[in-house]
Amino acid sequence: MAVTEQDAARALRTALSRGGEWAELFWERHNVVTLTLDDNKLEDAITGVDQGAGIRVTVGDRGVYANGNVNDGDDLLAIAGRAAAAIADDGGVREVTAISADELPRPSTVAIDPRTVPIERKVELMKLANERARAFDPRVHQVTVLYRESVQDIVVANSEGRFRKDRRTRLVFGVLVTAKQGDVLESGYKAKAGTEGFEMLTDAVVLETTGTAARLAVQNVAAEPAPAGTYTVVLSSEAGGTLIHESVGHGLEADLNLKGMSVYSGRLGQKVASDLITVLDDGTDPGKRGTQAMDDEGTQTHRTVLIENGILKTYLSDKKHARKLGIAESGNGRRESFRHLPICRMTTTMIAPGTSDPAAILASVKDGIFVKGMGGGQVDVVSGNFAFEITECYRIRDGKQAEPLRGATLVGQGPTLMSEIDMVGSDLGYSVGTCGKDGQGAPVADAQPTLRIPSVVVGGKVMAQA
Amino acid sequence: MSEKLANEAVVDRAVASIRGLRVDGGEVFLRDGQSTSIEVRDGEVENVITRGERGIGLRVLRAGHVGFAYSSDLSPDGIEECVTSARDIAAVTEPDPDVSIATRTIESPDLNLYEQGIDGRSVTERTSVALAVERAARNVDARISGFRKTTYSDGTITTIVATTADVRGTYRETYFSIGTSAVATADEDRQIGYHGEAKRQFAAIDPEAVGRRSAELAVGKLGAQTFKTQSLPIVLDPYMGMALLGALVPLFSADSVIKGKSLFAGKLGEQVASDRVTIIDDARMPGALRTAPFDGEGVATTTRTLVDTGILRGYLSSLKTSKKMVQAPTGNARRGSYATPSRIGAANFHLAPGAPTPDALINGLDRALRISSLLNLHTIDPISGEFSLGATGDYLEKGERRYPVRGITIAGNLTTLLASITGVANDLVFGASGLGSPTFVISELSIGGA
Repeated sequence: MAVTEQDAARALRTALSRGGEWAELFWERHNVVTLTLDDNKLEDAITGVDQGAGIRVTVGDRGVYANGNVNDGDDLLAIAGRAAAAIADDGGVREVTAISADELPRPSTVAIDPRTVPIERKVELMKLANERARAFDPRVHQVTVLYRESVQDIVVANSEGRFRKDRRTRLVFGVLVTAKQGDVLESGYKAKAGTEGFEMLTDAVVLETTGTAARLAVQNVAAEPAPAGTYTVVLSSEAGGTLIHESVGHGLEADLNLKGMSVYSGRLGQKVASDLITVLDDGTDPGKRGTQAMDDEGTQTHRTVLIENGILKTYLSDKKHARKLGIAESGNGRRESFRHLPICRMTTTMIAPGTSDPAAILASVKDGIFVKGMGGGQVDVVSGNFAFEITECYRIRDGKQAEPLRGATLVGQGPTLMSEIDMVGSDLGYSVGTCGKDGQGAPVADAQPTLRIPSVVVGGKVMAQA
Repeated sequence: MSEKLANEAVVDRAVASIRGLRVDGGEVFLRDGQSTSIEVRDGEVENVITRGERGIGLRVLRAGHVGFAYSSDLSPDGIEECVTSARDIAAVTEPDPDVSIATRTIESPDLNLYEQGIDGRSVTERTSVALAVERAARNVDARISGFRKTTYSDGTITTIVATTADVRGTYRETYFSIGTSAVATADEDRQIGYHGEAKRQFAAIDPEAVGRRSAELAVGKLGAQTFKTQSLPIVLDPYMGMALLGALVPLFSADSVIKGKSLFAGKLGEQVASDRVTIIDDARMPGALRTAPFDGEGVATTTRTLVDTGILRGYLSSLKTSKKMVQAPTGNARRGSYATPSRIGAANFHLAPGAPTPDALINGLDRALRISSLLNLHTIDPISGEFSLGATGDYLEKGERRYPVRGITIAGNLTTLLASITGVANDLVFGASGLGSPTFVISELSIGGA
């Protein structure tokens, strides 16, 4: 089915038929193809479609959300009826403003819809990755290649008359390489992901992704364990932006700031980072994994300056929290699917480049850790304490990159760390990920320049005293 | 209006449709779930959420090729389209002679997974449970200043698996869960503590206990100090213990073992843990969260000792991996949803309890660190076994808590960790994840800090 303006108007009227002040319809049809090549075999081939809708009705701060799979107009009305029954508000029937469709520009260009590409071509790229990874080094022991294409068509309509459609095309090409040396197993993972069409997956991109994964696995299997303790750390722009995502980004989500749940609560206009730090969230950055024309409430995405030269400017908002905090709607109300209510989420979050020469930043450190790859992270927004995984790092000796280290993690507290960063490079590097919050996954990207942190706790192995 | 088919009819139609193709066989999995959640914050209802979910996932086998398709469109045309998609996509996979469907008849014994009466429960009654959680937390300490979110959820799920080899099984289950994140405040210091639990019966969830633990965790972290880099014995209470035990499950996967991605490959019959360690995976524990009569492939589930006093005794297997290893299938091909194929996973996976009380175990340690929260558990690498995690904890001397610590890391390897478990207490608890653990002690781990 395709939801029309008439379907939406009828569903919204039903949703508000037993009271309620405001209603919204979110409908989606999500087509997914996932292919997995493992142990030299194209082992799993999955295709599917999930179609459903969620209807929200609110009264003041209270909301009802009914959702389910939808195949026709009757299913949609049944969900609207369930929402209406649950709101149980005696405020009388509200009018629905006449629905009128408008269209937003799409920041990412999809030249080739992946659904039109023969599946054999996708398999061919995966086999290419498998062969090259295995040829990289005799210690390469196992290779897993993942291809995932997702095309999500959505409609958002609400009782204020909004009716907007969007299509999000998302591709992921991931390579996981396992290397073995003696009894030691290590893995290296690299993914290419974005919101462009199949044109983003060229042979060259596949080979680069594969080369990185294979190099990391082989390097890690021979690397020494990282030392535990407090060190000066240089984060290369190549590492991408997990740091900014965990240490600052989550703490700036408006829903966590409404009731003082973040270390950044109540600090608008205050100094929360060093003068060198400017932080942005940009839902319009073409082709990036977090990019989309609008969020899942139909609000157009923005390039939002969150921290400017150390001063906190605003939070990442959805409609409800923008209203409650009296800030602009930033287009950051996102949801994993029709099964979830939107929550405040990042899109593509970054520290803006500064003025220092990246090579000079490395050269300035006599003894420290040079981080060139970051993996997953997590933050406790109430205390600001965060941790993130390091997937590639080296010892710095006399301003130069020295031996590789494995099994490291970085921990710290967001505002403290952001106040201590004392050099910001003129470069910028991106990374991709899937962010988890309140049980919902969201595709995101992060970016940062090369940074110097004078003193931060590194997790690893306690070395014997000299 | 399109025709609405009941669950059994959907499965019948899908099986018939697969039989109508020129293929070797197929499997149909249907899941139909309804749930209600109430989100409360600081005594006020924020959201009432009702979810409905119904769909099928199909596997179609043809000459060793296997294709998987899923759909939430359960009209006759939607089912037909899903079957065709599964057949078509099978062509791109490489043939594997060990791919198969279940052929052995299964039974659905009553495992105490279902409780009547969810539908009749009012929003008011559900809300009162969530409010009771917050009240209990506030009663713990005046420094509890608020909550990030408190949630009550319940749901019913119907699962049907059928194959073209006449295997068919159905079961219904219910669950009830509560969880909260209490925040404690003292001057500028703010700390959060999360706790939740999930049960099969409404009466089994304990709002008082959940609120209390959440508050105690938050208050316990107030005034935490930095900690020097050092190696110390580590104490894990049941909840922290199960968080780490969860990372062990992939090591037992027969699929990872066959592909050389598990540190347990080739170690059957060998010592892989200290002799205090016995690990059991029990899919038949009545009323437990991950209990099921059969798995996602329609294979009867089992109860197994995976590690017996430190000796590796078995792996977790699917139909395919059991054929490759020439062993009986163990019923561990689990389904996350109708939209994902079976993956090898554990049921009620737990560390068997030992004899001493937790106090007796801890009192014997001169100096130790008891972990109170872990950050970044999802980054533990199941292939290398390496972990390096953010943590908070309590510094203990002779079992007495001296002060809370923050900003530290703990790091090591899962295999070393298993070998270093020197004490296991008698207080086995099963958590909301379905994993179970008693309090246990690791003789030494690297702690990164100041």
